[in-house]
This record gives sequence, structure tokens and C-alpha cells, in this order.
Amino acid sequence: MTEPLLRVRDLQTYFVTEHGSGTARAVDGVSFEVQPGETLGIVGESGCGKTVTSLSILRLIPEPPGHIRPGSFIEFEGRNLLTLEPRELRAIRGNQIAMIFQEPMTSLNPVFTVGDQIAEAAIVHQHLSRRAARTRAIEMLQLVGIPDPEERVDHYPHQMSGGMRQRVMIAMALVCHPKLLIADEPTTALDVTIQAQILELLDRLQAELGMAVMLITHDLGVVAGTADRVVVMYAGQVVEQAPTAPLFARPLHPYTEGLLASVPRLDAAPASARGRLHSIPGQVPAATAWPDGCRFHPRCPYVWDRCRREEPPLLDAGGGEPGTHTVRCWLLTEPGRRTPRP
Amino acid sequence: MTPPAGPALVEVQGLVKHFPGERGWFGLGRPRAVVRAVDGVSFAITRGQTLGLVGESGCGKSTTGRAILRLIEPDAGRVTIDGEDVLALGARGLRTLRRRMQIVFQDPYGSLNPRMTVRQTLAEPLAIHRIANGSDAERRVAALLEEVGLDPGFGRSYPHELSGGQRQRVGIARALSVEPQFLVLDEPVSALDVSVQAQVLNLLADLQQRRRLTYLFIAHDLAVVKHIADQVAVMYLGRLVERAPASALYAAPRHPYTISLLSAVPVPDPTAQRQRIVLAGDVPSPAHPPPGCPFHPRCPHPKKNARCSTEPPALREVAPGQLAACHFAEEPM
Repeated sequence: MTEPLLRVRDLQTYFVTEHGSGTARAVDGVSFEVQPGETLGIVGESGCGKTVTSLSILRLIPEPPGHIRPGSFIEFEGRNLLTLEPRELRAIRGNQIAMIFQEPMTSLNPVFTVGDQIAEAAIVHQHLSRRAARTRAIEMLQLVGIPDPEERVDHYPHQMSGGMRQRVMIAMALVCHPKLLIADEPTTALDVTIQAQILELLDRLQAELGMAVMLITHDLGVVAGTADRVVVMYAGQVVEQAPTAPLFARPLHPYTEGLLASVPRLDAAPASARGRLHSIPGQVPAATAWPDGCRFHPRCPYVWDRCRREEPPLLDAGGGEPGTHTVRCWLLTEPGRRTPRP
Repeated sequence: MTPPAGPALVEVQGLVKHFPGERGWFGLGRPRAVVRAVDGVSFAITRGQTLGLVGESGCGKSTTGRAILRLIEPDAGRVTIDGEDVLALGARGLRTLRRRMQIVFQDPYGSLNPRMTVRQTLAEPLAIHRIANGSDAERRVAALLEEVGLDPGFGRSYPHELSGGQRQRVGIARALSVEPQFLVLDEPVSALDVSVQAQVLNLLADLQQRRRLTYLFIAHDLAVVKHIADQVAVMYLGRLVERAPASALYAAPRHPYTISLLSAVPVPDPTAQRQRIVLAGDVPSPAHPPPGCPFHPRCPHPKKNARCSTEPPALREVAPGQLAACHFAEEPM
């Protein structure tokens, strides 16, 4: 196996809550790796800690109220990002690791042209002259499929549609040819036909530039179509981690199983398209009070005593080298308890 | 599903809503072009059934829903509920009518008064329509909460104390409080997480069955609509481009826009072999719709020709019960 590009180990990012009454354990012991050139999907619902995980990697967590706890470890190409000096970190952020966000309008600066915003990273990190950076910005706009790039380079964000703005965000992120692109819900705010354009663009650019992508999303459909491997998060933890095909074919964590079953599907047979959807009872618990034992146990259909008492570790599910498919569930020790759903 | 059996409860004919273009330059410039948000939309919804109205942002689907309820005054067209002419009603008649037709909004947080408890929110329509007050209202509020799957104890809560799913249940309970026949559901599950979305969709299906409700379900998500709708209407730039029983529309879509839209929906199956049609460009502005067929600049149909850019196609029957507005709806894509 090659050396991973990014290795996150036992990441804990906590927040002090507004009234000082407690601590939100938003990310609570998360570990995973990203290999060079692969697409890793990170999936989960609101409040599972997926966005805080990505912000922690770039050390963009506001402190206070947040802090990354001692013992957390984020290694990029062999260097621990959590102990770097701010100057060293800046040389990596936006250069070797870049990020795009969900809402392109609020992450673009309204008073600068898109060309200036794309050029900035090239000037800062690669010391290009203004003129060379402008030429690079035009090339980038062309690369992300914006028509008339020579003209568009002087436009402001408000003159562009949502899909175009997201293309500009991608151009900004890729201008320094990063080795890792973190894309946090990059298509969630977009219409489905525009989403298809952006996903296709990311796919093409990844192949052309050979970068790794960490795709953070709540949409299992998007992950199925793009990711090589998937990490499923629930309540601040990784609950299942596997290559994409086996994860969708045979989800082993009851949360993954329930989540997949709750998605209304376009490919459902007409007979089963109508009728009740499977749903997971209850709701995601609060980050200030995760349940004892397994954090999913209050909503789990297979729950038994041990789940209420003891928190399961990530257990190996086989299917390749150790660590290929891991699941945080006691069912792996007692598969007989996985009875068919009523 | 079969084509509409039984009589229609809601009929919409030639509905039009144009918004005047604003003046630029702080109100001093020339007025901008008129935005043709809804431009001649017609459909009928059978009693007890669901029509799914689908389209992308800005296609006019929400404006259609609101114009039907006269939350926005339509410019032209005819809307009837149970034969009664909605657009002819005066203020008093409209108030009575609102007992029969209600709306549930996408953002339950923005549509609930943050200073009112859930109980006050649910009791208000009962008082306004003189349905119940005092202990009778209390009983009804408790029953409503139970019906939408909330513990009656939630009556004392304020909206900020509730989760998104709970707030949407309150929004549904408020709409049901006046015992309507018809509900406009405007993206009711779009803001919810997947696991909660499934709970709310199941609730809506149960309520429809129990109360024999008729739904106009407005959504951008074709998979959600497949799950809940009997009939589906697809909207693009203010017009319907296709209208059909759900089974026909999903099995054999005829309009190139419907076909493209369906192919663009990601399916949670990594082994799925699908051909994805990626449409070029953005949706044009409804202030400047393209001439001829409004979809022609983005249309991937191989037979597309000069006629498409000059002659607007009529919405016509291309298969039993299935209408499409395309000159080449019979030709394979």
C-alpha cells in the first residue's frame, strides 16, 4: 500500500457552548486516511461532524469557542498540520490543500472581480506577477468550462449564476494544483442539472490533475457516483468505512443500513415506489449529550444490553486487507442478532 | 397509477402570473422586462390524489402554488375547488375558502412565529375561523399534535426549541387545524435530513389516507415525487412541458427536459449503468425566455431544428393520458 496523502487519527474537536453550560463534542475521535489521487466520500446528516472534520484539517476552527484537543493528529505528507507554525500552515493551505464550500455566493468576495480572486492564490503561493496571474486566471476559467473567459475574468460574482459561481470557486481552489481538494457539499445549493455539470467537471479535473478529493455530502446518490471509498459519520464518530461498492451492496452498520433504506429512489420499481419509506425512528442526539454506550443505540432496531453499556470500537469486517471495511457495531461479534426487520 | 379516476377537486386553467420588471438605478431607470413567472399553466387534481409539480429554481412552481391559493393574485386563468371559482371570491369568501385549502412551506423555521408557543400557533387558526376556543381548542391542539406524531407536551415549546423535523410537523399540524380538503405542500421535505425526510413523507402519506386529502406537492427532487405523486407535471420557465400519470412519466418520459432531469438525478447505487445527459448552460431568465420552445437552447434532442426556435410547441397528448410540449415527443432521444 502506498503512503497515504492525509492521515487523520483520533481527531477530537470540541466547542464550548454559548452559555458555557457544556461542551459539544462535535468531532469525537475520528480516524481515516486519504490515498493520493482517490476520492473519499464523507457522508452523514446534519450535526454528525463532517464539516467540522474538514475545517479541522485546515485549522479553520474558530478558537474559542472551538478547540482541537491534544492527542489529535492530522498528518499531510508526513507533517503534522496541528503543530505547524502559522507561516508553514499558510504555505500548505490554499496551495497543497484547497477547499470549496457549499454556498458560493457567501464564500466569494462581492467587491473583487472573479479574476482577482482566482489570481490571488497564484500571486501569494507561486509568486506570479500580476500579469502572469491574470493569464493563469483566464486559463483556469477556461479549464472549469466558463464561456468567454477573457471577458468573464473582469466580472463580479453577482453577475454570475449559481452554477458559474461554483465553477469560479473550483477555479480558485485549483489554481495552485493542490494535491488534496476538500469539497464540502459542493453541489447541495445547486439544481440537479447544474449539479450534474459540476460533478462531471470535478471528475474530469481530478483525472487531469491527479489530485485526491475529499467529498463531504449528505447525498448518498452523489457519493455512489463519485467516491472510491466512503466514510459514514454519526454523532461525531466514524461508524462505517469501506470501499464504495461493498458499502452500498452490503451496509453493515445499522445506521448506514437505515440511511440507505430511507432514501426515496428513482430506480425503485413502480410497485415499491409508492408506499411507506423505511425511516429511522427518533432524531440525531445533541453533541453536548451523546448517548452512553453505542451512540446509535436509542435508534437502533437490533439494540441489546451490551450496546447500552459499552461503546463499540471500529471492528474489522474482513473483505480484503485489515482495515478495508470497518464498522463500529457489536453486531460484528454476534451476527446472529441481525434478524430480519419486522 | 391509473389516469385520474373520479372527479377533480382542484382545477387550474391557463394560470398566468407576470411580475413587472423593477426599475434599475434606484427606481429612476427604464423598467426592466416583465418576468413571466407562470405563463399559462393548466392541470387538475383528482380528489384524494397527489399531483407532483416539479422543476428547477425559478421555473415558477412555487408561484403557481401560491397563485392557486391567492397568496399571490394571479393575472389570468381560472382556478376552481370543488367547482367553486376561487379567483372570483371577495375578501369574505376568500377567508371561508382558506378553511378548505392550506399551505405547508419549505422552511418551517421561517414560517413559524418565534414568539408563539406551538399551542398558540395551532390555536390561532381555530380562533380566527371560529372553530373552537377555550378547553375545546386545547383538546383539538393536543389531538393535532398527536396526529402529526408529536407528544402533546410540545404545545409549550417555542419553535427554536424544536428540531427541523419537529417544526415541519408543527407546520403540517397548523395547516390541518382548519380541516382543509386541499394542501399545497411547497418543498415540505427539502430542508430535512434524509432520515427525517422519510418520517415526514410517511406522515404525509398517512394523513392523506386518513383524511382523504388532496395534495399539490411542489418539489425539485424527482425521486421524492416518484414516491408520493399519482400525477406529475414538469415545469420549465413558467410553462408545463410534460404532464402524465407518475407511472408513465417515470417509465417513459417524453419531453427532452424531463428525460435530462431524470438522468441527472444521482442514484445511490454505484453499480447502476445509466446514461447521464448533462445539459449545457443555465436556465435562461424568465424575463427573457427564448423564442419558440423555451427549452431549445439547451435541448439535447437529435431532431432539434429551426422549427424549435420559432414555433412554441403546444402541450399535446402523446400517449394515453400523457401530455408533452415537444415537436418531437414521439421520436426517441
